[in-house]
Amino acid sequence: MENEGRRKFLGVCVAGCTVAAAAAAGYPVLRYLAPRSGQGGAAKLVIPAGELKEGDAKFFEFAGSSAVLIKTSSGQLVALSAVCTHLGCIVQWVKEKQQFLCPCHGGQFSTDGTVLGGPPPRPLAKIPFTVTEGNITIG
Amino acid sequence: MLNRLYRWLDLRYGIGEIAEKELTGYLLPRNINEWYSLGSVLLVIFAIQVVTGMLLMIYYVPDADKAFKSVSFIMNEVPFGWFIRLCHAVGSNMMVAVLLMHMLSTLMMGSYKAPRELNWVTGFTLFALVQGISLTGYLAPWSQLSFWATTVATNSVSAIPVLGPTLVEFLRGGKLVGPATLGRFFALHAAVLPVVIAAFIGAHLFFLKRTGISAPPFGRDETANPFEAREYHYQGHPGGIPFFPNYALQDLSSISIYFAVFLAVVFFWPNMPFTPDAFVPADPFKTPAHIKPEWYFLANYQTLKIFPSELLGLSVQAAAMTFLALLPFIDRSPERHPLKRPLFLTLAIAGILLWIALSVWGHLS
Repeated sequence: MENEGRRKFLGVCVAGCTVAAAAAAGYPVLRYLAPRSGQGGAAKLVIPAGELKEGDAKFFEFAGSSAVLIKTSSGQLVALSAVCTHLGCIVQWVKEKQQFLCPCHGGQFSTDGTVLGGPPPRPLAKIPFTVTEGNITIG
Repeated sequence: MLNRLYRWLDLRYGIGEIAEKELTGYLLPRNINEWYSLGSVLLVIFAIQVVTGMLLMIYYVPDADKAFKSVSFIMNEVPFGWFIRLCHAVGSNMMVAVLLMHMLSTLMMGSYKAPRELNWVTGFTLFALVQGISLTGYLAPWSQLSFWATTVATNSVSAIPVLGPTLVEFLRGGKLVGPATLGRFFALHAAVLPVVIAAFIGAHLFFLKRTGISAPPFGRDETANPFEAREYHYQGHPGGIPFFPNYALQDLSSISIYFAVFLAVVFFWPNMPFTPDAFVPADPFKTPAHIKPEWYFLANYQTLKIFPSELLGLSVQAAAMTFLALLPFIDRSPERHPLKRPLFLTLAIAGILLWIALSVWGHLS
């Protein structure tokens, strides 16, 4: 009976060591596989205001995702996330209509990101920016 | 919970029958010793090499322009990248070392003899394949060390009469070691050789299962078990110890000891697999001074230097390797106790000393 107890104790020890070893090996592997933090573009992005003509859009990478800067025909600047809120495709800028079209499922957004039609549940996210001395600083 | 899962599986697939046959009911000779667990250690090493290799492939770029940079990136930027890479590099060295010990124990205990000739031949092939996978992996970081070690290694093939130069060019994918060589070596290292090695491990284990474990020729309950080639016969060990849990614990102990040594090297002697040339990107126009191969190729390297003609040096090595590969067909006496085989023991010890002497000489010269 005493022997039985000892066997059980040793079994628990072996199992414990195995779990500890697996955790010790698993942690580095998880960290190795995890996406690199701090990657995906700078926190701030500067675009010269002269680069953008009225009615045009400029797509760029911002904070690891796609974003777009437009200058409406009335001269107003808008910065938006270019990721469609429906299923994550990148919206296109339709210059003639002055609106965004998502080619995947036909979502439509106005220049300020409001949903005009199609399946998207939410407007495009706005991105803050400031204009100083002819430079547009995003973020 | 585990019990219920076991019962569920047992009811449907008869798991208990397999466990009985392969684990608790699988009896090993009573005088079995620690050396028999080296095979399990090697299986674990192979698994680690496969897993770390797959992980390295996530960041490694097999392109001559980018390979060195990607390896530096793994070593310096990726979290624990140094750890995964060192496990792979140290693991390859340890695999060769443990393989040599495994072969040595087989030699000393005469386990290669009839009816286990094919166990030895498949094992010997694995030894050659492991050397091949080490050599092809050596080129991957595209460092000065990689580049020139591969140049020298592939160049030795040119000593073969008539076909030599063509063969070297074929191996390298060009006149010199270059991006084409990296491509084919990487394919061999990461796709071809692992599969071939896995297949040979399968064959090796199949032969082991079919013949049954050999009893050591010494120790408690020493058994004389001469094999006569009349009909197939599985060597069982009635009254032996069960594989599980008895010998499984021995396997586990050996694996733990291996891990202690392996991780000690990884953490405290991380530059063991490298020389300074391993930290300089490959430069095809600048041969570093004193370029040397890995420790397990030092004896071969020194042999090539001793013999005046490269062909002669290669032939001697080929002859020695062939002799070793065909040993079970040459050494046919059924006696397996090393002390009762004086000729064998003398030759084996002389051979080992010669190998060590050549390696040391190669290292120092």
